[in-house]
Amino acid sequence: MVMAEQLIDGRVIEACQQGDRDAFQLLFETYKDKVFSIAVYSSDGDRALADDITQQIFLKLFTAIRQFRGESEFTTWLYRLVVNACLDERRRRRRLLPWGEMVAMKKPGERKPQEKHYARLEIAEAVQAAIAELKPKFRLPILLKYIEGLSYEEIASVMGCSKGTVASRLNRGHSQLAKRLSHLNNPEVWGD
Amino acid sequence: MFLRHVTKDISAYCHGELSSQESKQFAEHLIACAKCRTKFEEVKLGIKLAEQLPRLSAPDHLWSELEPLLAKQTTSIARSSSSWMWQSKVAAAAVLLLVAGFGVFWIYKGRPAREHAGPSWLVKRLDGTPKIGSEQISNNGQLAIGEWLETDGRSRAQIDVASIGNVDIEANSRVRLLQSRADEHRLELVRGKMSARIWAPPRLFFVDTPSAVAADYGCAYTLEVNDQGGSLLRVTSGWVAMESKDRESMVPAGASCETRPGIGPGTAYFDDASPAFREALTKVDFETDAAVCSTALTAVLDQARPRDTLTLWHLFRRSEGTDRERLYDKLASFVPPPPGVTREGMLRFDEKMMSQWLEVLESMWTGNGGGKMVPKKVADAYFKVRNGLSGRLKDMAPK
Repeated sequence: MVMAEQLIDGRVIEACQQGDRDAFQLLFETYKDKVFSIAVYSSDGDRALADDITQQIFLKLFTAIRQFRGESEFTTWLYRLVVNACLDERRRRRRLLPWGEMVAMKKPGERKPQEKHYARLEIAEAVQAAIAELKPKFRLPILLKYIEGLSYEEIASVMGCSKGTVASRLNRGHSQLAKRLSHLNNPEVWGD
Repeated sequence: MFLRHVTKDISAYCHGELSSQESKQFAEHLIACAKCRTKFEEVKLGIKLAEQLPRLSAPDHLWSELEPLLAKQTTSIARSSSSWMWQSKVAAAAVLLLVAGFGVFWIYKGRPAREHAGPSWLVKRLDGTPKIGSEQISNNGQLAIGEWLETDGRSRAQIDVASIGNVDIEANSRVRLLQSRADEHRLELVRGKMSARIWAPPRLFFVDTPSAVAADYGCAYTLEVNDQGGSLLRVTSGWVAMESKDRESMVPAGASCETRPGIGPGTAYFDDASPAFREALTKVDFETDAAVCSTALTAVLDQARPRDTLTLWHLFRRSEGTDRERLYDKLASFVPPPPGVTREGMLRFDEKMMSQWLEVLESMWTGNGGGKMVPKKVADAYFKVRNGLSGRLKDMAPK
């Protein structure tokens, strides 16, 4: 994907700013999976909702890109837009849904408690469920680190906080993940 | 730094966000601080879990649903020039092909795409012209996951192991980078010799050889692999575990361990043990004839000094029947078991008694061996790990 992102240069962005749909499709194809992944993990695994969020983000991007002045990296600017959209959506749902209905993903224990040997896929599902339960301030740095592959400095720029805060939030996020999924701390589970 | 706990830096350390100096100080503190080590294990698990988070694919229908919505917004925006459109269509086609190609590759490999763009380690030329893959390196090079570093008779190289140490690759060696992530750094040495200096918490750095795996416990050591796939480990500081599927040897500073293909690690022995002792031990470890082994074990017992309880202890853990009794009696003659540890209990491998006695024995192994890396704590960490793996003491391959 790094190669694909290299196709997004100043000329593509400029064309997008002028409303060029082909240029925008190029932008969409390049970033859709990353944006969709963050949307899924931020909407507790609800893919239909993630579809809507992703669409809304790209619709907004289509007009907001005219305001991009190149003062920061385009990706940093884009992820800031994504993070804000996900946080807005969460706030909106919080107002509409009673507490307790926010976490839609199944916990791993609800699946097949009799199975001792988890496949990697099942571990990934368990992690997704645990990620969904983290507070956004711990979840988003993890998504930006592991889905987008950003450095601490880039995450800090997206989140509008210091590098130290990113380190601290990642630390707490990792700890909470480990505590929630401590039953996976077993070499047999990983097939090691 | 030694007094200040380092728990808040754990993720940054694992992600390589600390400077070399900070990383070194971090690791040194961790080896000495049980509290931070416990937290480190927790965060390390969290990182291992987070790394399993897959990147998802957006559904195909998204663009077709988005297009009419964009059309509504386009009316007030002027179209760009036709020359740009031509170029952008080509670029769009290229990226679609790229994405599709990536998808096929991803499915083929069965792994997330981001793992392919994995980290690499800095390689410095020390002598001659070492090669990474087929390319010679003049001064510095980068060793990516899956790549081979090879030295000929005149060349040597040094590898920076992420931020946790370095490894010198001697002449006529062939080594490959297998893994570099927060909870595991792994090399494969198939031929030649390497010298490692690692300042990391236990079990973060591993070297695979054809006949065993060397697991680092914060140490310095050399490892040689011969053309037959056998290896020789010599530890100069700290501890190293040599492991195979069903055998393991814990090797402290001043001691060595041989491995053989198809068998795995032999028993750890101190380098100053007598030649007769070492010769007999080789037979005990690698001979298949039971009578030869039994005679050799008698020679080992006859030649053993108090410091050779390191060897006797490892043999005891692997032994059965009368051999186990003979080894217990010899061990007890050198180092009487502490109160509460009984012959009967030891012969049935009572884990509590085993660790009580081991604690006494360790001081003998590390007291004169030049161990500089708080060996007791390292050994504690080791046995904690091993005991955690469902009491594998009893699963040691019987001789």
